[in-house]
Amino acid sequence: MRDIFTEIWESVRRNKLRTSLTGFAVSWGIFMLIVLLGAGNGLQNAFFKGGDQFASNTMMIGGGYTSKAYDGLKEGRRISIDDKDVKLIEGDAFATNVEQVIATVSTGETASYGKKSTSLTLEGNYPERQQMEKIELVAGRYINSKDIAAKRKVVVLPQNTAEALLPAFSQAQDLLGRHIKIGQFSYLVVGITKSDRMMGNNMAAAPFSTIKTIYNKGEDLDDITFTFHGLKTEKANEEFEEQLRAAVNLRHRAAPDDKRAIWIWNRFSQNLQMNKVGAIINVALWIIGLFTLLGGIVGVSNIMLITVKERTHEFGIRKAIGAKPWDITKLILAESVTITAVFGYIGMFLGMLTCRLLDKTLGQSTVSIMDDQIAMLVNPSVGLDVAIEATIVLIVAGSIAGLFPARKAARVRPIEALRAE
Amino acid sequence: MLIELKDVNKTYNNGQPLHVLKGIDLSIDKGEFVSIMGASGSGKSTLLNILGILDNYDTGEYYIDGRLIKGLSEKQAADYRNRLIGFIFQSFNIIGFKTAVENVELPLFYQGVSRSKRHEMAMEYLDRLGLADWATHYPNEMSGGQKQRVAIARALITKPKIILADEPTGALDSKTSEEVMQLLGRLNREEGVTIIVVTHESGVANCTDKIVHIKDGLIGRIEDNRMHRASVFGADTIMK
Repeated sequence: MRDIFTEIWESVRRNKLRTSLTGFAVSWGIFMLIVLLGAGNGLQNAFFKGGDQFASNTMMIGGGYTSKAYDGLKEGRRISIDDKDVKLIEGDAFATNVEQVIATVSTGETASYGKKSTSLTLEGNYPERQQMEKIELVAGRYINSKDIAAKRKVVVLPQNTAEALLPAFSQAQDLLGRHIKIGQFSYLVVGITKSDRMMGNNMAAAPFSTIKTIYNKGEDLDDITFTFHGLKTEKANEEFEEQLRAAVNLRHRAAPDDKRAIWIWNRFSQNLQMNKVGAIINVALWIIGLFTLLGGIVGVSNIMLITVKERTHEFGIRKAIGAKPWDITKLILAESVTITAVFGYIGMFLGMLTCRLLDKTLGQSTVSIMDDQIAMLVNPSVGLDVAIEATIVLIVAGSIAGLFPARKAARVRPIEALRAE
Repeated sequence: MLIELKDVNKTYNNGQPLHVLKGIDLSIDKGEFVSIMGASGSGKSTLLNILGILDNYDTGEYYIDGRLIKGLSEKQAADYRNRLIGFIFQSFNIIGFKTAVENVELPLFYQGVSRSKRHEMAMEYLDRLGLADWATHYPNEMSGGQKQRVAIARALITKPKIILADEPTGALDSKTSEEVMQLLGRLNREEGVTIIVVTHESGVANCTDKIVHIKDGLIGRIEDNRMHRASVFGADTIMK
């Protein structure tokens, strides 16, 4: 091993400029690959951040309008979800998969505090929702079971809504423990949640029982959310959704396959799809990166060919004194792989450094879209897996680059090479 | 017999077929110091290439120490060259970017000898050829005679059965030529190395014990030259 590296070093040392120029192309290729993948990861982290926000095994259903005539009823009929649907989902039919079922009722309202007011959606919620949607609290607490039992008039506000109700430059937390007016009633602010940048809406949470009573909602619900288990594949999810849709539709006298009668939002399969999109973006970035690297590889192949040409005489000598063809092939291949790997690692290192730099600069900045701050890049970096994959790419690329020159070198015939010059 | 050639024929087919060797029969015994003499175009270089397993022949048989050398794979040929034959070339053919000692080590490297062992052996051979002080010098820092001695050390290091010298003095002045020939003679006498020198210089041939004349692809006269009187001019020196 050491002998081969000595040989490579001797060869590279004689061609410093040429080697470093070609090496630069390889470094550049890997650098681009790493930066692209890093930035891609950052973008995906930023966009799909919402996806991580939810417990991925939840499904939400809500009412819609029928699109088919069924059971003597016309199409275009409104379906609203109600308490009996909760019973149905909780029931034996879906017991193998369904875990916890909660419902919400909501209404649009105007909230005011002092002279300031803002519109919000007031949602009657259960405490379990916090878990299911991974709602992050900035201060205070979420709705609890006592609130439900006592039908307390308490509210949990998103940060941006709270800020909208306060004088400029004050902290959302200042509203904690204060009473604000929502609609006709006064509510105690018990918690502040992080604003949901992805949804961009002002969802204020109050106890389910309170809202249901105040707004006299009867049996009607806005949506039903439940957690489930045992549905691992997209296919299993689809089948489950179909069964669920059929059961709920039939209860409302809608065609079992009517996809508009109720809507189902499955976060699990949505996550699967997001992951798929992420994977496609990743593949696209790899392809771009690899094509950039290709230029470097061609360069390495090129200088290796020149090297072989220059060293024909030397290879002839080596073969005359006993070098086997493989000894010569090995020499060129090893040189090619070494050049590619060394410069590749320089590029990889610089690429990772640049990702760090991106994180420190662009990663900290946000873009304002519709009053919402959206991060451009979140944690743009590549993992160990990419480093390992890139290493494999470098070794394979170096071998490919060296393959033809090495074969040419191995075919050198000693008598021709040694013919007096 | 160490070397036996039986009716060896070689034709080059570069456009017009060229029958270079037309049935060579030659035997060389162990410990002989032989020169093969001929004018340019006589086929002596081709014969040397075949003897050195650098080229193959069309028909006939070539044995080294009873081993038939025919239709070898490149790998096998390389191995035989490495173990059986030591080459000395007119243009030295030592590698320019390696030091003297590294050049001498090289054949052992291809035998897979460990670094320290081959370094030790290379130093020993350089010492025997009076080049110990030059071990770490590069070829461009040495004189022609020194370079040729490095090449001789490299040829000897594998303890080959045959030393093949192709115009070993061709690039040297007359004084150095004589020194090199004396060195080869001494190696032959003192260590019993079989040496075959290919040359067109009668003075060089005169230093050997047997002169094989080759002409138009056939072996001509074989002179016994143990008295070293073959060349009137070359009796005492090598004419340049």
